[in-house]
Amino acid sequence: MNPVDKHQQASFDVLIRPHLERLYRLSFRLAGNKHEAEDLFQDVLTKIFPRMNELHQLEEPGSWLCRVLYNHFIDNRRRYARQRLVAVSEEHLPGKSLEELPGKLDPVVDAERLDNIMRLDAALAALSEEHRLVVLLHDSEGYKLLEIQEITGTPVGTLKSRLHRARARLREILSADGTEHGA
Amino acid sequence: MTCKLIAEQVDDFLDGELAETERLAVETHVTSCASCEALVVEARKLRDMLRDYGESTTPTMDTAFFDKSIARAAHEGTKRQRSKWIMTGFGGAVAAATALWIVSSVFLTTPDIIEPTIPSVTMTLEQPRTLNLVFASAVALENATMTVLLPEGVEVAGFAGQREITWMTSLDEGRNILPLTLIATSPVGGEILATLRHEDDDKTFRLQVSII
Repeated sequence: MNPVDKHQQASFDVLIRPHLERLYRLSFRLAGNKHEAEDLFQDVLTKIFPRMNELHQLEEPGSWLCRVLYNHFIDNRRRYARQRLVAVSEEHLPGKSLEELPGKLDPVVDAERLDNIMRLDAALAALSEEHRLVVLLHDSEGYKLLEIQEITGTPVGTLKSRLHRARARLREILSADGTEHGA
Repeated sequence: MTCKLIAEQVDDFLDGELAETERLAVETHVTSCASCEALVVEARKLRDMLRDYGESTTPTMDTAFFDKSIARAAHEGTKRQRSKWIMTGFGGAVAAATALWIVSSVFLTTPDIIEPTIPSVTMTLEQPRTLNLVFASAVALENATMTVLLPEGVEVAGFAGQREITWMTSLDEGRNILPLTLIATSPVGGEILATLRHEDDDKTFRLQVSII
């Protein structure tokens, strides 16, 4: 017997594919680099596959999938060695070379963007893990606080307070290194 | 309105979460206070930077990567799925109050007896219903085969359009539960057959499904 039922795989594909990009982005934000994000992403897909029936019945599978991914990361964080919630180091930035920065053609603007990204990356690395998570999910990935509550189980009030403190700390750090007034 | 209060409310101000009177108070203060105006500008700039950071720092994955990930999940996940059937015990998460339990009265490895009646269930169109098949086995069995045959208009959730589903499984000694979530897609109904085979032995459950 074929070890993989192709019908099952096709059904899984239909159910999961609309959510893959979002899941991968969340993996990347949690794991902090491409290699570990891919491991986390793959581990979670494999974990979800046998739960296809459950997935099929959900009204909002996107939130459920993100929660499964987040819980898997928290339960197995030692396996994802760097344990950084994002803060990408320079060599992992897709925009390491200016030509790779998407969407802009003006070299001056691109140089400024890359500089901002590098400085913000360093500032994010100075935040606590929980502060980094909420600011990245909310302000960089566009999650609403209610969605973050759904994923992490942390109450909205706590998240809002963390977000406020995280933004204030980032402003402080960026202001100190002059970035804030660079544009 | 004080500068301290502005610092506390700057996020709510930019998020549009202040009441109209509070918003106007912040705006009025900011137009006459250079340091608070700078704070609002910095806060707005930070948001732009964070948004751009999100757009710029996540690797873009192509369709081929996702194709490969799904195929690998199916391959690895199938192994887990096979063991899932036998790891579920009574009192487990599948024991939903609304689930229908069909319990084998005989051991798989002993001669079968004729069931006096075929159990029946009534389903509502498009309403999922979980059916728990309980198989009792005198000994642990490896490499058993489970086949589910479905009548027209009844599907197993996650296997749309399939009338026959077969997979390899194994059983623990004692009771083993197979939860099947069924969905009625048309008002036809009929008989569901679930057959567990191991070498020359087999056990079949029959269930009559009516759909309203």
